[in-house]
Amino acid sequence: MWSLLRLVSLRHVFGAPLRSLLTLIGVAVGVATLVGIAAINRSVMDAFRSTIDTVAGKADLTVAAETSGFPEELLETVRAVPGVLHASGGLSVVAPVKDSPGESMYVMGVDLLDDGFFRTYEGVDTDVGKLADDLEFLNSTDRILVSERYAKEKGLKTGGTIELITPEGAKPFIIHGLLKETGPLKAFGGSVAVMFFGSLQEAFARGRTLTRIDVAIDPRVGLEAMKDRLQKVVGSSIEVDSPDRRGAAVQTMVRSFQLGLNLGSGVALLVGVFLVYNTVSISVVQRRREIGTLRALGATRRRIRALFALEAGVFGLVGSLLGLPLGILVGKAAIGSVSNSISEIYVKVNTHSVQLGVPEMVMGLTLGVLGSVFAALRPSWIASAVQPVEALRKDAAIGAGAVEVKSWPTYLGVFLLAIVWPTTQIPPPLENLPLGGYAAIFFILMGVTLLSPLVLRTLNVPFARPGELLFGISGRLAADNFARAPVRTAVPVSALSIGVAMAVTLSSFIGSFQASTDRWIEQAVPADLFVTSSAKLAGTQNQSMQASLQKEIEAVPNVDLVDPVRLMAHDVLGLRIYVISLSSDIYRSRGNPLILEGSLPDAAQRASGQVVISENFARRRDLKVGSTFPIKTPTGEHTYTVGAVIIDYTSDQGSVIVDRELFVKQFNSDLVDTFHVYVKDLGALDQTRAAITSKLSGRFNAYVLSNAELRQEARKLVGGAFAITYAMEIVAVALALLGIINTLLAAVLDRTREIGLLRAVGADRRQIIKLFAGEAFFIGLTGSLFGVVTGGVVGYIVTKIVGVQATGWNFPFSYPWGTAVQMVVIATCAAIIAGLYPARRAASLDVVEALAYE
Amino acid sequence: MIQVANVSKVYRRGKNEVRALDDVTLTVPRGQFLSVMGSSGSGKSTLLNLLGALDVPTSGTLKIDGREISRFPDDELSRFRRDRLGFIFQFFNLLPTLTAIENVILPELLAGKSRDELEPKARALLEQFGLTGRDTHRPDELSGGQMQRVAIARALLSEPALLLADEPTGNLDSKTGGEVLRLIREATRARNLTVVMVTHDAHAAEVGDRIVRLADGRVVGDDPVRVAA
Ligand SMILES: Nc1ncnc2c1ncn2[C@@H]1O[C@H](COP(=O)(O)OP(=O)(O)O)[C@@H](O)[C@H]1O
Ligand SMILES: [Mg+2]
Repeated sequence: MWSLLRLVSLRHVFGAPLRSLLTLIGVAVGVATLVGIAAINRSVMDAFRSTIDTVAGKADLTVAAETSGFPEELLETVRAVPGVLHASGGLSVVAPVKDSPGESMYVMGVDLLDDGFFRTYEGVDTDVGKLADDLEFLNSTDRILVSERYAKEKGLKTGGTIELITPEGAKPFIIHGLLKETGPLKAFGGSVAVMFFGSLQEAFARGRTLTRIDVAIDPRVGLEAMKDRLQKVVGSSIEVDSPDRRGAAVQTMVRSFQLGLNLGSGVALLVGVFLVYNTVSISVVQRRREIGTLRALGATRRRIRALFALEAGVFGLVGSLLGLPLGILVGKAAIGSVSNSISEIYVKVNTHSVQLGVPEMVMGLTLGVLGSVFAALRPSWIASAVQPVEALRKDAAIGAGAVEVKSWPTYLGVFLLAIVWPTTQIPPPLENLPLGGYAAIFFILMGVTLLSPLVLRTLNVPFARPGELLFGISGRLAADNFARAPVRTAVPVSALSIGVAMAVTLSSFIGSFQASTDRWIEQAVPADLFVTSSAKLAGTQNQSMQASLQKEIEAVPNVDLVDPVRLMAHDVLGLRIYVISLSSDIYRSRGNPLILEGSLPDAAQRASGQVVISENFARRRDLKVGSTFPIKTPTGEHTYTVGAVIIDYTSDQGSVIVDRELFVKQFNSDLVDTFHVYVKDLGALDQTRAAITSKLSGRFNAYVLSNAELRQEARKLVGGAFAITYAMEIVAVALALLGIINTLLAAVLDRTREIGLLRAVGADRRQIIKLFAGEAFFIGLTGSLFGVVTGGVVGYIVTKIVGVQATGWNFPFSYPWGTAVQMVVIATCAAIIAGLYPARRAASLDVVEALAYE
Repeated sequence: MIQVANVSKVYRRGKNEVRALDDVTLTVPRGQFLSVMGSSGSGKSTLLNLLGALDVPTSGTLKIDGREISRFPDDELSRFRRDRLGFIFQFFNLLPTLTAIENVILPELLAGKSRDELEPKARALLEQFGLTGRDTHRPDELSGGQMQRVAIARALLSEPALLLADEPTGNLDSKTGGEVLRLIREATRARNLTVVMVTHDAHAAEVGDRIVRLADGRVVGDDPVRVAA
């Protein structure tokens, strides 16, 4: 077999070096995007987990209320539980660094006396053992320890200061000493500051609350038993869990985002695999006679099949191996954008490095090789059907196979399209995992691919006239040629249509989403100015602000009303949703939320625990008006009743809107994430804005956005979240263009005699160029037209099914006409450009040799 | 009409040199029907390709209508072939996706003329060549003889000065071949066309006015055809 491979295949591979190269590029780039994205996803999650793990240290159990905190007295209660050997309380905040947008520090507040039990701190210029008695460290509110590496990187020294944004504004923090970058100091990408927990509470306006108690247990009692004991003591509002179980809500939340990225990168590989299919098909056609000879010499059908499958497998293997290093580049290029989006949308992660791990390499190689072999199945089947007598036929190389209407690809294609709708109806097996929808999309793409030859072979008729008008008689012949070998032409057409379809799909989803967010902000959040600290949008990246700022803003001339809004990420019913607190009266009088069900609760109803929930939270947890559900708060678990379900795009996990009065009481916190400011005179908006900015800018990394700017930011957030996926679809389109080059190169070979004849009867070089560029034009046009149509259907499914399952939001679908037109124009032009190389090859053929070609 | 003087054509394949034509000198007056005979590999096609400006000689000069065609740039060559020459090959004369009539007008379409103006003329030619009602057939619906007739019609449509035919009957049975030869003879004589036809079939060569024999790239015989009484 190997000698056969060497003898028969290698010669062919090197005989058509460009085609082989393009195929390898296709596989390599496909594998690279897949592997790169997988590596990013893992790196981000690893970083997130390692922050949890390194911070957890040697704790057996952690008592935690990460987002809302609990009173510090609980620590003594926990210590008193029998079986608790040791307990250490702490809290941590993510604090933005002043004047460095996007940069923040993970500040851990710990009791060094206790904490050493769980975590090891190693001093560089400080004796950690003595810190517990170091009054300067304990009694100040601004002394921090940072790692030596971090200090060096930022040019900081012991005694120097770094300014962090706190709810009370920017404060200088003094570097009290340096620690080695070990243990918890490796968390959060190394941007960690350690301070005394009492100082942190003070500096960050956290009252006397903790977010975490680490517990070491008596092993004789057992983990489960201790967990039960502790849970009973701390009450149901606080989680008791082993460290490795923590962060699960966040991981679930990020899952659909990451899955989307993975699938997006899969499209590039899919198109890459098309190139393999293309190449193997071409080589089967061109080697018919050789196959016939092999058969005549006694090679079995199975052996012929194995030969081609093996050849494809080798392409897959070499391509994948080339793809792995390329994958690192993809990972490096995209990690910034991905971790940025995850930080903006889900949880602040600090990852800027990406490594290719064994799992990604194995996956890349496996999918690259299997995909290639799979792509070779059909052509190798066709090859094995070659009869020994064909070795003797002179015209054996001409033509690339006819399309039979009643063949299995047709039936399969129809079948796949028929099961699309039922497939979309399969409920997701896991939260945030809309597998049915994704499978349906794959079926559509494959179904269209399988049926496309049937359509292509009829297109010479409608294309003939426009072809002739555009390119003269060459254009007419190009239209004929385009439809002549439909099975072969269908490959680049389908590859292109898949790339274009996915781009249009994404664009339709993004566009529909953006339009809906826009409408939502305009109607439901109609404030004139939005004041935030450290990030333009309140959410994961901003720092909360103290409530007293409300008075200061109200004092600014022209300010009519100020609504202090809190957006607190919080785990409710197993989802990391946002609890939004706002002044209900302002919301009712100024906002015009899009209510789907129920009505906004009045004052009495609010006092009795009626809240408003978002559409997606309702859908995810099957809540209706009148349903009740619990929320764990620092003052215990409270039950809330759904008063209304509204459209709200704050978080894809869901949101609950609680009246501010109730929130402050129950959550023990009056911090504010964004002040919604209504002005009296819109004409003086700019002055008002300038006044607020100048009032705050020295103290906070303050942003004051107009309503239009807020909407713009929301649009950017959505666009940014899909930027990488969109880029990958463009890569897929580019790979499809390589397929056009491949196909046309094969067509030039097959039609060498025709080219000779045309030249002999008077065609000049330009006309030959037009002949092939014209065919490329038709391939590009058809592929992109198929793509924009398929993309519309897939976009609808993504918006209305996958999106609903993944986000709980059901927003109106709108078709991206702009993108569609752009795609058709660009892809068609690019196809022509791709066709120029084969066209030039055709035009430069020696006429005499072409005529003698067989 | 045609003046070939000391023309040689050497093909190089790696180290091997093939002297396909070796110092050939030949003159063909206007209106003459010249048959070129010789065994396979004797250089017949090479000569024809040079006359058709598909290829350039290694040495020597080649003039058609007194003009040295090997000096033409590529564009001008294409135009020259389109306007002044008609070609008929042994096989694969027609484009498979075009109808018979489209194949006939192909060179004129390449020249940028409009279909409407060409089609009546082409249809008339096809009728004249016994292909009435076949004008919308595609090559795979035609017999070998019919295909060659379409090719002749194509070669003649633009009213060229010179018709070049490379074994036009090589692929046909003798009866059909005879009919095709007759057609070429009659159609060219009526138009006072110069014809150079390559064949290895002595019988076929007889339709010409003159027979030139080639062997190993050299002219080894040049005789008028005696008119059969
Ligand atoms: N493109 C070419 N390259 C190399 N040798 C060639 C080429 N074309 C023809 N020959 C050689 O030139 C000689 C004459 O060929 P040709 O004119 O085709 O002969 P004929 O048509 O009489 O059979 C042959 O030996 C042939 O092998
Ligand atoms: Mg010959």
